[in-house]
Amino acid sequence: MQKVETEALLKIKDIRKSFGSNEVLKGINLELNEGEVVALIGGNGAGKSTLMKIIMGIYQQDAGDLFIHGVKTDLSKSSLALANGIYLVPQEPMLFPNMTVEENIAMGFNENKIEMHKKIVDMIAHLGWDLKLDRRANTLSIAEQQLVEILKGLLRESRILIFDEPTSSLSFNEAESLFELIEDLKKKNIGIFYITHRLSEVFEIATHVAIMRDGIVSLSGAVSEFDKSHLVKALLPPGSELKTAGESTAVDYSKAKPMLELKDFSGYGFSGLNFEVYPGEILGVAGVVGAGRTEFATTIFGMDKVKGGKVLLDGEDITGMGTRKVLDKGINYVPEDRFLNGIFKIRETGWNISSAQLRNMSKIFLNKKAEKELADKYINDFRIKVTSQDQLMGSLSGGNQQKAVIARALSTNPKVVILDEPTRGIDAGARGDVYSIIGKLKQQGVAVLLISSDLEEIVELSDRAISMYQGRINHTFPKEKIDLDNLTAASFGVYEEGE
Amino acid sequence: MNVVKKLFKAREISSFLCLLAMFLLVGLVNPSFLKPQNIMLCFNGSIVYILIAVGMAFVILTGEIDCSIGAQLGLAAAVCATFLKNEAPWGVAILLALLVGLVCGTINGFGVTVLHIPSIIMTLGTNGIYRGLIYVYTQGKWVENLPAGFKGLAQTNIFGNLCWFFVMDLVIMLLVFLYLRKTRHGKRFAAVGDNEMGADLIGIPVARTKMLAFIICGAFSALGAVLYVSRVGFVTAISGNGYEMKAIAACVIGGISLSGGVGTVAGATIGGIIMASISRLLVFLKISSDYDNTITGILLIAIVVIDSLAQRRSVEKARRERLAARVTETEGGADHE
Repeated sequence: MQKVETEALLKIKDIRKSFGSNEVLKGINLELNEGEVVALIGGNGAGKSTLMKIIMGIYQQDAGDLFIHGVKTDLSKSSLALANGIYLVPQEPMLFPNMTVEENIAMGFNENKIEMHKKIVDMIAHLGWDLKLDRRANTLSIAEQQLVEILKGLLRESRILIFDEPTSSLSFNEAESLFELIEDLKKKNIGIFYITHRLSEVFEIATHVAIMRDGIVSLSGAVSEFDKSHLVKALLPPGSELKTAGESTAVDYSKAKPMLELKDFSGYGFSGLNFEVYPGEILGVAGVVGAGRTEFATTIFGMDKVKGGKVLLDGEDITGMGTRKVLDKGINYVPEDRFLNGIFKIRETGWNISSAQLRNMSKIFLNKKAEKELADKYINDFRIKVTSQDQLMGSLSGGNQQKAVIARALSTNPKVVILDEPTRGIDAGARGDVYSIIGKLKQQGVAVLLISSDLEEIVELSDRAISMYQGRINHTFPKEKIDLDNLTAASFGVYEEGE
Repeated sequence: MNVVKKLFKAREISSFLCLLAMFLLVGLVNPSFLKPQNIMLCFNGSIVYILIAVGMAFVILTGEIDCSIGAQLGLAAAVCATFLKNEAPWGVAILLALLVGLVCGTINGFGVTVLHIPSIIMTLGTNGIYRGLIYVYTQGKWVENLPAGFKGLAQTNIFGNLCWFFVMDLVIMLLVFLYLRKTRHGKRFAAVGDNEMGADLIGIPVARTKMLAFIICGAFSALGAVLYVSRVGFVTAISGNGYEMKAIAACVIGGISLSGGVGTVAGATIGGIIMASISRLLVFLKISSDYDNTITGILLIAIVVIDSLAQRRSVEKARRERLAARVTETEGGADHE
């Protein structure tokens, strides 16, 4: 067709993809040329990974086409993508843990063994890496596993490499040598998609940048055309700058006694957290996936080991207590993934709501009447749409499920409620209901920790906010400083005071 | 030196040491257990177990399981014996038995890879179906009076009183070992069980590999059935009953992980010998052989528990390392007002 299309190494044309009723990609157009590094950035759920998985043949698009050198190409299976010289270096390495490094690399190749061995050794020597071929993959560090994944891609003589947040598990030095490698690949005319959450990396290695938001590309072009503030702006929903913090009922912290206090709290995935939440306060926790937000919440809730520091609830040390005890003390956690952790799908809604209270209602047999009253109260209060409380939980919409899960958390009369992504994947109406429920909590004097990747939500609801970046709290924002710009910049690690 | 080191790290070695320890311990109580003649009888007793364990190894390596091989073996044996009894040529009887095994395996593979039924459920179901078919096919009667020549095959010894079938098993095992460890195609089985998503990503056909594993497993059960007919000399409706546990236990004791991806058929073979030896050593220990299955079951559970505890620990360790790697080392950028 047109000349332009014959030139692009990979052209993505009007790609659309939905999961159920949720449209993840709403017509994506992108181009990748030889020797380019296109940095893909965007918040959680923006559709970056989905797009890459379509290119890699793991998912199939609902509409739209992919062109390689102008030729429309079917990449609907991973074997097809591989045959077309596309290779995805996954974020979490996907090695065969029980095989050696060499076996891992050679797996799926058709060359004979001796030739292959020579190629691998040559490649490693060329890269100057220190990697023993006879080690088993399950003895490698994550960074080393990543190197093996990259080697696999290189040995396939891939023309298109996709890196999915490669530096998220690398140390500083390892990341540096990865950047050198990418420079090298650029010179070899390989096209690279580079997904990252770190804006500084964009300027370090990328030639082009594309920002995705809500399933569209909101900005794309050569890196030289932009600076950080452009990128931050493109990450925000349109017109959102106008929105500043709403009318606040400022909490007077001078006299207040914190309900929940973290002192130098460390665990797996986070380190040295210090903050406090006051009764009747909503503390927003911003950050990208992997910043350690869910990890610290589940660790407080007794689901993982504490490495150091203290958690004080109303002055009482509850560090390292089991989940049952933490619940009894008055902390409730509403998990991020309600499908995995939150609900009993094939039980009645009423049962789901009262299930956290069963212990208090029963000697030996359950007091059915009390159970029913409790469930009815919350179904009415929260406007959970059910035909009766006997309707099965699994048949409710996402928003109503979420309301039921929060209702369950409240039925225990907690002092602290930790909400992890409370409105992910639910519709606007239900979102409003969830917000008013959160407001009710605040009125009742509950201390609320609101973990959310939806930064607008944090702006709208929070009295104070903290942002987490790479396992640490990098900023704390008082009410008047909470806005999308600041939170976005801080989540991506580029916030500067007085900006 | 390197080779020796590698050898001692191999999981089969611990199985082999387990076998040795078992023999020595029983030998302490009853020295006649260690007579070469008896040891060879233990080997002879394992000829069927080794084959079904090798077949089972394919399935377990891919991360699945086959609970129907006892019935597959019984059905193939019934067909084989019936044709032998009716004076069909041996070759025809053997081929028909193999055909039965291939069909049974294909049905299992179809259920698991196409219908996506969990393998334990699928094969538990087919176990019932195949076993039921034996009753229908034999009308519940014994198939006996088989040609003496065929029964004589299992009585033919090549060394002392060591049956030549045992040597044949070892040769088959060795070929399979080389196939699984050294060929590109054979390595797929372990790769699929080791990391299914990863296998998919580099273009290994996961479903086809699993399908093939079930079919091969069926073929080995059928081969085991032929040896069974020759060795036992008659087939009943309950022939092969409980062999699935023997085969699974042989694999597990031989170092093949039930989560897939780990182990070799050499280990499965050692496991098969251990399985056959348990019933013999009970006699030498003057314990009722009624305990045979109980002991096998206990061994199976004990090893699986130890293995999964070790596995869980390493998975948890890896998860924590990954999380720890995400945390910056310096307290950069913290500004607590």
